[in-house]
Amino acid sequence: MVFIRSMLLGAFAGALLGIGTASAGNERLLESRESLYNNIYVYERPPYVIMTFGHNKQLYTETVFDTGDDRALPVPYTRLMTAALMYAKNVHSILEIGFGGGRVAWYLHRFLPDVRVTSVELDTAVLELSRKYFGITDEPNFYLDSRDGRVFLAQSKDKYDIILIDAYRGPFVPFHLMTKEFYQIVRDHLGEGGVVMQNVDPDTMLFDSAVKTIGAVLPQIEFYKTNDNSDDNIVTVAYDGPERKADDLAAVASERDKALGLRYPLTEMLAVRRHVDLNDTQTISAKAAVLTDDFAPVETLKAIERHNRKLP
Amino acid sequence: MRSRSLAPTIYLIAFVVGGVLMGFEMLGSRYLFPYFGGGIGTWASLISTVLCALAVGYFAGSAIVDRYPSQRAIGAAILVAACWLALVPATADAIMQTILDHIGDGAAATLSASTALLLVPLSLLGTFSPLAVSLLTRSANEAGRVAGLVYGVSTIGNVAGTLLTTFILIPSVGSRNITYIFAVMLALCAGLLFVTPARPPTKV
Repeated sequence: MVFIRSMLLGAFAGALLGIGTASAGNERLLESRESLYNNIYVYERPPYVIMTFGHNKQLYTETVFDTGDDRALPVPYTRLMTAALMYAKNVHSILEIGFGGGRVAWYLHRFLPDVRVTSVELDTAVLELSRKYFGITDEPNFYLDSRDGRVFLAQSKDKYDIILIDAYRGPFVPFHLMTKEFYQIVRDHLGEGGVVMQNVDPDTMLFDSAVKTIGAVLPQIEFYKTNDNSDDNIVTVAYDGPERKADDLAAVASERDKALGLRYPLTEMLAVRRHVDLNDTQTISAKAAVLTDDFAPVETLKAIERHNRKLP
Repeated sequence: MRSRSLAPTIYLIAFVVGGVLMGFEMLGSRYLFPYFGGGIGTWASLISTVLCALAVGYFAGSAIVDRYPSQRAIGAAILVAACWLALVPATADAIMQTILDHIGDGAAATLSASTALLLVPLSLLGTFSPLAVSLLTRSANEAGRVAGLVYGVSTIGNVAGTLLTTFILIPSVGSRNITYIFAVMLALCAGLLFVTPARPPTKV
């Protein structure tokens, strides 16, 4: 799972989550781990346990877990990731790339116990910590695999109705998980009527290129973003075929809300839905280029902030 | 007189070859990551392969330096490396995919992939330094000074190649085109060696 935004060491996720900002000293370090890929810090701030990755003396929140309620999704954008449920024609199998502390995957598993949920996480240490501190256990229909998301897909022949992508490592997404070739592999693993959801940080020019790249493979793009500024991240929905009508989505949403008893109703998420025209230069810079395996200057794009641009 | 004309050429080529060598290592990451992930394991494979290639090149260079101590020998090695690089963009994806399909994505796979990509051309480039030292050394008491200069210049080339490739070329040109640029640069170095007049044989 992953990424809210960077914060100075010690300051922390609380500010964003409305968990209380004044008491920056409240968190207690439960464990730190230097893994092959990350410097991982697990903090406790009752009732939350928080997984962060350290980069450049900053901590990047990857996961917030409510220890008293394993079906809660304290981070706003993670709720929006579940909007996928109203897009997918069928919901038999779900794949997540980037597990982190596993809140979204676990939420989906809890509310859809008959659906096969698979999550791929690069870092085995992250998986170990998720089992130790984040209430993740081995259960039927819940599968974890430790490998690179793209390598997993390239070697898999399975199809999925929903593919969730949230592979931030601190502030970065590896370039090979952002290219047109990657999304072509993703599309090849989508079942009929399937949908891709991706968490994207909108602060830099990388956002424009990322969205344009997804759109080059899956033509229908929609954004979900909290309307109360509680979370800057934008969840991007991408699918093939004609644009979904709001009424049709609302019908599916209300049906699945009832059938599944979802904690965070799909019908409410429709209020923050926005269909995106990729040719609208107000939303996506005309200069943004589709990223490919050959040319993907993600570090450079990441360094360019989106100044005063009209955010979706 | 003629020996003086050779030295600047050799040092220039030492710089360029050093730059291409490390530049191609950085590019190797762009070829490997899409297939084997971008973790420390992939980097370890790339770095160890480059160092293996250099070791092979140094040993091979020292083995052939007495038999073929000529500019043509170095030029030929660099030219073959250039040809290898020129073939990489069109073939790399098929090779990486084959390795992924047959060996998987573990250490054996990333080592095989970096070997397939880097070992041959960088070994050939590795023969440059011993041969160059031999060509520029006229007497035994010069050997240390010449070796120091050749390796120093070549290492500065390494630094330039690493930084230029990472911060200038990859963000502005595609990986495949950078590979072609490197191939052309190597071919030009080889050509320069072929046309630069040789110095007379060392008097014993």
